[in-house]
Amino acid sequence: MKSQAADDMNEKRRILVVDDEPQLTRVLRTGLTSRGYEVLTAADGIAGLDICNTWHPDLVITDLAMPNMDGLELCRRIRAASTVPIIVLSAKGEEKVKVQALDIGADDFVTKPFGIDELLARVRASLRRAPGQATGELDQAVLDLGDFHVDISSHSVTLRGNEIRLTPKEFDLLVFFIKHSGKVLTHHTLLAAVWGGDYVEQDQYLRVFVGNLRKKLETNPAEPKYILTEPWVGYRFNPSG
Amino acid sequence: MRPNIKLASYLGSFVGVGLITLLLAPFQSQINSTSVSLFYLLLVLFIALFWGSGPALFASVLGVIALNFFFLPPLYTLSIAHPQNWVALAVFFTTALAVGQLSARAKRRAEEAERNQHEIERLYKELRDAFERASQAEALRQSEKLKSSLLDAVTHDLRTPLTSIKASITTLIDEARGHTDDSQPVSLDPESRFEMLEVINEETDRLNRFIGGLIELARIEAGELHLRRRWGTVDEIISTALARAQPLTQNHSLQVAIEAELPVVRVDESAVSEVVYTLVDNAVKYSHAGTTIRINARLDEASVEMSVEDEGKGIAPDLRERVFDKFFRATRDGDISTSQPPGTGMGLAIAKGIVEAHNGTIWIESGERGKGTRVVFTLPIGDEEPSG
Repeated sequence: MKSQAADDMNEKRRILVVDDEPQLTRVLRTGLTSRGYEVLTAADGIAGLDICNTWHPDLVITDLAMPNMDGLELCRRIRAASTVPIIVLSAKGEEKVKVQALDIGADDFVTKPFGIDELLARVRASLRRAPGQATGELDQAVLDLGDFHVDISSHSVTLRGNEIRLTPKEFDLLVFFIKHSGKVLTHHTLLAAVWGGDYVEQDQYLRVFVGNLRKKLETNPAEPKYILTEPWVGYRFNPSG
Repeated sequence: MRPNIKLASYLGSFVGVGLITLLLAPFQSQINSTSVSLFYLLLVLFIALFWGSGPALFASVLGVIALNFFFLPPLYTLSIAHPQNWVALAVFFTTALAVGQLSARAKRRAEEAERNQHEIERLYKELRDAFERASQAEALRQSEKLKSSLLDAVTHDLRTPLTSIKASITTLIDEARGHTDDSQPVSLDPESRFEMLEVINEETDRLNRFIGGLIELARIEAGELHLRRRWGTVDEIISTALARAQPLTQNHSLQVAIEAELPVVRVDESAVSEVVYTLVDNAVKYSHAGTTIRINARLDEASVEMSVEDEGKGIAPDLRERVFDKFFRATRDGDISTSQPPGTGMGLAIAKGIVEAHNGTIWIESGERGKGTRVVFTLPIGDEEPSG
């Protein structure tokens, strides 16, 4: 670890990087440290979990395929005790595991190979969301985010000053999106949150409702700017369009 | 039996009885009625065999009538003069019935047996076809599975260095620009900058090694490994390999034991030296620093046996064959719980290819006292007429 400006410990956000590829942890340690983060690395899930429990990082970046304890199990174990944001590093061909990781509670993913900026953008987004939001529930009567103004009690939605009329389920879906904006939400997560456990396999339900929401929100529903599709995984909400 | 065949058989029976009657009637005074009845009986027997019990019964009744009418006095009436002829007629009728029934039954049995035989043959053929189809599908599935797992391994090994390279380069690009995509200032100290460049350098070498290995493996698999065999000594081969491995083995102690007076061998020295290098490289990777690596060479009948032994964790017996499969790595694929040293999963596959091209064999056993790993290979000493 580099001892770089060690005085502002309170300012520095801590990031744990877990990957069995030493060269990659080396690069990420340097890349993230140079952006002012404090970084520790681990070569497998067990070591990662250890550091997580004792060091309490603000964010975890983990590979999926690792010896000892893989990324999936690591996500599960971390989620059992903590709401720290988790970003998963996945490769093409690992889509199934990636979705499982997101279902378990990982917040975002970056596909290998990636540019450092892409990773940093996800890191910043996850850290911004983190305080209080990681638990997923904001008990506010009014949500003001990006272009959206939502009054929960009166079920009213205004988008850039224009009132939008939504059915109750569309409203629930939008509120869930807004509360988790920026985060990748799997089909499974959305179905379980808005329709309940019996519907978690009914992808087409979700597709219909997302389609309707897009018609009402997007200027061009064919090229959505608010509700973005994450292919094979789910959706990501961008409140600022 | 179809209706017209049935009708034909009854008609046939009628014609048969008629023919016998016509043939024998002119001689009714010369032959006795018992002989005549035997002729009818014979006819009934044949009819039963060919057409079954119905026509046989019909023929029996016709026979009784014909016998009575044409051969038993008073002739040309259906009455009978002597009571003993009544008895004869009754015996004839009963015998004809019995013969008809028995032979028809025998025919049915035979047909049934034949049908069963056909059915069994059909089922057997069907079963065999199904089995063949299933095993073909299974073989295809297996080979598809193997292909896709090989592809996975290759893409993983290509993508891993690429990931490190891309992350390093983008870090350096940000630094060169002076800020990230969203204008956060970036500064790298010279040490970090050097580290990024070092990673890029090492990882491009790794990619190049991987590609070199792929090419060599492809050559071996295509049978295009051309050995340049020359007479050489085992000492030379081993010392070449160890000189090359010197940067790797600094933290291990090496024990080399080469049996005195080993014969010269007729091999491709650089290829065999490559095998020894690969084995030493593996021994270094899979054992802790400070432990000993033993390299032995000895004569074993008409072969030279060389081995490289480490004091590492060893390889489970059930994986000892599979580590020679290309892209298979015990640490990654075989649940050996250690972090994974860099490797391509091709070294042992190539070593095996080289050894086998020399008509030798290569295998893995436990090291001394059952600990560690010992990789052993043999090379036939070679004669004046080499096969390669």
